[in-house]
Amino acid sequence: MSEPVLDVADLTVSYRASGPKGSLFPAVRGVSLRIERGGSLGLAGESGCGKSTLANAILRLLPSDAVTTGQVRLNGVNVFEMRPGQLRSVRWTEGAIVFQGALHALNPVQRVGTQIAEPMLLHKTQASAKDAKDRVNELLEQVGLPGDRARAYPHQLSGGQRQRVLIAMALACDPDLLIADEPTTALDVMVQAQVLRLLATLRAERGLSMLFITHDLTVLTDVCDDLAVLYAGKIVERGPSTHVFTAPLHPYTTALSRAFPIIGDASSRMSPAGLGGDPPDPANLPTGCSFHPRCAVATERCSTVDIELIDVGDRREAACILVEPS
Amino acid sequence: MSEIVRVRDAHVHFGEARAVDGVSLDVHPAEVLALVGESGSGKTTLIRAIQGLQPLTSGAIEDQGETKIGGRRRRRVPHDIQMVFQDPTGALNPRHTIYDIVAEGLRIRGDRRDEADRVGEALSRAGLRPPERFTGRYPHEISGGQRQRVVIAGAMVMSPRLLLADEPVASLDASIRGEVLGLMRSLVDDTGLSIVAVTHDLGLAWNIADRIAVMYLGRVVEIGTTEDVLEHPTHPYTRALLSVVPEMGRMEQQILVGETPDPLHIPWDAASPRCPLLASGEAERLGVAEACVRDDPALAGDGHQAACHAVPVQLSAKP
Repeated sequence: MSEPVLDVADLTVSYRASGPKGSLFPAVRGVSLRIERGGSLGLAGESGCGKSTLANAILRLLPSDAVTTGQVRLNGVNVFEMRPGQLRSVRWTEGAIVFQGALHALNPVQRVGTQIAEPMLLHKTQASAKDAKDRVNELLEQVGLPGDRARAYPHQLSGGQRQRVLIAMALACDPDLLIADEPTTALDVMVQAQVLRLLATLRAERGLSMLFITHDLTVLTDVCDDLAVLYAGKIVERGPSTHVFTAPLHPYTTALSRAFPIIGDASSRMSPAGLGGDPPDPANLPTGCSFHPRCAVATERCSTVDIELIDVGDRREAACILVEPS
Repeated sequence: MSEIVRVRDAHVHFGEARAVDGVSLDVHPAEVLALVGESGSGKTTLIRAIQGLQPLTSGAIEDQGETKIGGRRRRRVPHDIQMVFQDPTGALNPRHTIYDIVAEGLRIRGDRRDEADRVGEALSRAGLRPPERFTGRYPHEISGGQRQRVVIAGAMVMSPRLLLADEPVASLDASIRGEVLGLMRSLVDDTGLSIVAVTHDLGLAWNIADRIAVMYLGRVVEIGTTEDVLEHPTHPYTRALLSVVPEMGRMEQQILVGETPDPLHIPWDAASPRCPLLASGEAERLGVAEACVRDDPALAGDGHQAACHAVPVQLSAKP
């Protein structure tokens, strides 16, 4: 039996308000998820819903004042119990992150080839600087850039090219799990399509597992087998991605999926759909279901009952009292 | 029908680079026109030229009697053309109250008559009701969607005939997006305003635009009603753009290789064609491949126009 690449069990992450005695604000509130070897999960939600906190928690990249409970198992080992040396060896080789702002994630005064080679030399996955250099060229070509771009500085590359450099860097040590945090949000549609196709190819060729984070449901549906929707630090719906997108069960997922119209669909022509209000403040969460103040179909019970995920069959779950269990 | 703006063969060149390279289009009264294309296609330069912030190298832009020609930079930006930028948080002064932000345009114009009433009216028109609830607050005290509404109110207080919106929802969350787009559409329907929206988001165009102009390398390559352009695209570039919109599963994806060419080094050679028709040999089969490499196609067609040698051949081949 093969164990999942990633197994997150009842994870909570809280940030402390100013000072060591400040109260704790929950950013992630009891999230459980798993990604099987070669599987891909898309995580969707608005800014402030906790999706980046969750991504960073997986490789223990959180600020030191963050308080976590629960477990994150990467290839079966609890990340929170790793010693510093072990943690360092796991980063890049077992789990790697592609961050959103490619310009800020790269060192402006170092050639991109040097930056891609750095994790390989640190982790000694390549025996010599010469081998690392060959591998850099190979990686760059894999992500669709000519090998000689290794000598370029970040400012000499376009946004799409820099994003590819970050992907090449994340792949440098052949990780089992790739975490992509809004990897295409800043890119043009055509470049986005190039990057998404690249990720799909890498998954197919190397059996890479992926956690893909974005607020754009349509992108996730394109790339991921499964989809989880995060609201106020909790998963409110999950299931196979096309089903979640085309037939959402939770009213929040409905609002999110309607925000991106399908071109040619007469019902969205000249009628943009949105969702009023703001995501709740983690310091002041609503009672009951945290979505009820913005929910179009909320009932009186919603303000008192905080519902957990309900299994509705066909691998689908939703946290809403209007959902019928299977 | 009097056009709001007429752009005639407009060119904006930065040295050798042709950011806008011969664009002609009209903006009709009470319409939303979406200018779509990748980064570097010249769409932002074009609306800056319409606003009067960017002098033309040649050509003309007429807005109701006034003509902007040649290299002259306009000192006075006309207040009946207003701009809405991408990021509302960056566009609002964090130390000013909502009232001061909305009133600023009027004050700069030296027009303080009935200021409070007009600010209140602009706020309610932008959906911030009742206005008294907002006037005394600061940008950080309101939500992202409300901030973009304040930016729009600041433009509306000047009673513009034309709003130029540069990626108005690109930096907003999915949930707020629809709210702001709905407001833009209702302003056009209720007040007769026209909007030119620059975007790379075809969903935005489908949501609110009457017409679409697709730009590539400083030119309009296809223009027509939203339904024509998005449901029956004829130019290969428009088709490629549409095919990569996620969830357009019914189309075969045509991912163009590389990025938009550098306007300084436009590859007009057949050896490295970005055009899928040329690359696949389809242009050769239609007998236009030679023309594709030799001649620059002009916009052709009636109403729904495309600048492509293959389109007339393809259309005449259809029964």
